[in-house]
Amino acid sequence: MSTETVDGRTDTRNALQRLRASPFLSELLSNRLALIGIAIIATMVAVALYSRVTMDVGAISASQLSNNPADQFLSPRAQYPFGTDIQARGIFDRVLYGAWYAMQFGTVTVGSSTVLGVTLGTIAAYYSELTDNVIMRTMDVLLAFPSLLLALALVAILPEEWGLWRATLALTLVYTPRFARVVRGAALKVLEDEYIEATEALGASDPRVLVRHIMPNTLAPITVQSTLNFGLAIIDLAALSFLGFGAEPGTPTWGIMLSQGVDQGLLSGYWWWSFFPGLFLAVTVLGFNLLGDGMRDALDPRMREAVD
Amino acid sequence: MISRRFLLKRLLLLVPVLFGVATFVFAMLHLAPGDPARLIAGRRAPDAFVQQVRTELGLNRPVYVQYGEFLLDVVRFDFGKSYQIQKGAPVSEILEARFPVTLELAVLGQLTGIALGIPLGVLSAVKQDSLTDHLTRIGALTGISVPIFWSGPILIMVFGVMLGWLPTFGRIATTYTYESVTHMILIDTLLSGNPAAFVSAARHMLLPVLVIGIYSMALISRMMRSSMLEVIRQDYMRTARAKGQGANITVMKHGFQNALIPVITVIGIQFGTLLGGAILTETVFSINGVGTLLVEAINNSDYPVVQGTVLLFALLFTLVNLGVDVTYSYLDPRIEQ
Repeated sequence: MSTETVDGRTDTRNALQRLRASPFLSELLSNRLALIGIAIIATMVAVALYSRVTMDVGAISASQLSNNPADQFLSPRAQYPFGTDIQARGIFDRVLYGAWYAMQFGTVTVGSSTVLGVTLGTIAAYYSELTDNVIMRTMDVLLAFPSLLLALALVAILPEEWGLWRATLALTLVYTPRFARVVRGAALKVLEDEYIEATEALGASDPRVLVRHIMPNTLAPITVQSTLNFGLAIIDLAALSFLGFGAEPGTPTWGIMLSQGVDQGLLSGYWWWSFFPGLFLAVTVLGFNLLGDGMRDALDPRMREAVD
Repeated sequence: MISRRFLLKRLLLLVPVLFGVATFVFAMLHLAPGDPARLIAGRRAPDAFVQQVRTELGLNRPVYVQYGEFLLDVVRFDFGKSYQIQKGAPVSEILEARFPVTLELAVLGQLTGIALGIPLGVLSAVKQDSLTDHLTRIGALTGISVPIFWSGPILIMVFGVMLGWLPTFGRIATTYTYESVTHMILIDTLLSGNPAAFVSAARHMLLPVLVIGIYSMALISRMMRSSMLEVIRQDYMRTARAKGQGANITVMKHGFQNALIPVITVIGIQFGTLLGGAILTETVFSINGVGTLLVEAINNSDYPVVQGTVLLFALLFTLVNLGVDVTYSYLDPRIEQ
């Protein structure tokens, strides 16, 4: 694949080579902490896919008390690396499967708030003052609530039987204003460039200018925001489950396991009920924060100077 | 100095936001799928009771009448009456008893975070790329990655269950009685003149405050570090050094003060996160604050309580942000333009 460069010469490198040569990526890949982040995320994605393919969620959710009643409350040992819970279920398998829930619902939450935020943000930046005002003042109102509180308020009015989807929808609406704000700021900067004017003069339609020219140029800040928000989304989804507004009790999500571990296991000394799900949760979030931090540093030229 | 015009402008900007917040909270109940009266009465309630709820709460009147009345009530801090968890009690009274509990927890946690986070951030920046810096940065990143509902249980396990040094739930040992004046237990027990009760309350408070404090410390030290690093590279810092001023004095006198400005914004913004953290902390440590109240209210579909709590939190959060803006412009007068 070849691309015309600005000065008219033909760029014969393929897409991968061009990507590698970008200062952003080379900066990111030379950041050791960001690499650790990528490794953690890759491992968790692998764990998630492995559990999804090899395990039967019904079996690890169901009580094992009638099968092996003697295996209740066991501390970690060779047969049960993370011990067992009150239903004699092995916690190890449940914690692994939790990665699937975290990744799946984290992706949906961040993905849909990104799409919503990008759409609203670019529209606000591109169209009239009135449209801009209506969209951004609505975002301001949503941002006036502490985020977990807004999520709880939304959860309160959504049907309980939606389970984890209820928490996902609530958090999507909570995160959307943040994306809209970032995207609007970046889009306004792009709009000042002369090539937008040139494109419009050539007769490009509004949707074409928005999708082909403005959105691609806001990609960098959006990627950083999405990465950092992915960690937050995983914590907030677990927090809502922990408070009782997520998945059904018994479902192997980290939030549900933590909630059960704190409510029923902690004061009796069954530390492994809450310790292992929390450990996986924290490490996953750390992975996204490491990567997000690295991306932000790689994007910020001032930070790049500081490293040199 | 802050000009009166700036202050007035910021206060006026507050009006549409708070109006929007109140509108959102009103709309919550009416946009929810299903009939509002049915939501409040409970899904399996008999139709007659649903009808009764509808009449009692005036839900059968036109929406614009309800909306107008809601706005008038909110301005007077009248959030209606609890329908389920404390039937008949005014929501404002319930909040009056519960809110100081959460506020005390959040403020003490925030203060702990500031007291630890700012020195750590400065140290990390001054010794950039040293082992201290690396450890502080990784520690801070870990601190914001660890959810409160995991760090809390670990502290309970170690200091409460295994070592037995500290109590693990509640606010005070049941043997003590004291008069609730401010509903902030440390102040109330001090006022009651019983030192033993104060000590018991303080011991109960230690772990919850620590959990919030660690999280806040992590956020603040990160911001303080990057802000300090930016300031250190400014020309005026080099000038001060060139004039023969000692490195430590330069850093403290010129650097610290200027680096603090963006950190104050972060402290304000994260106060909202902290209030969310307080909700989770209260659940972990079984503390009867607004957080546990809200969870109970949602579980029981007690919408007036949910609406009142959400409004109160949003109002507080907005006011804190206003305070941050004003402080910011006081420290850096260029902001006003």
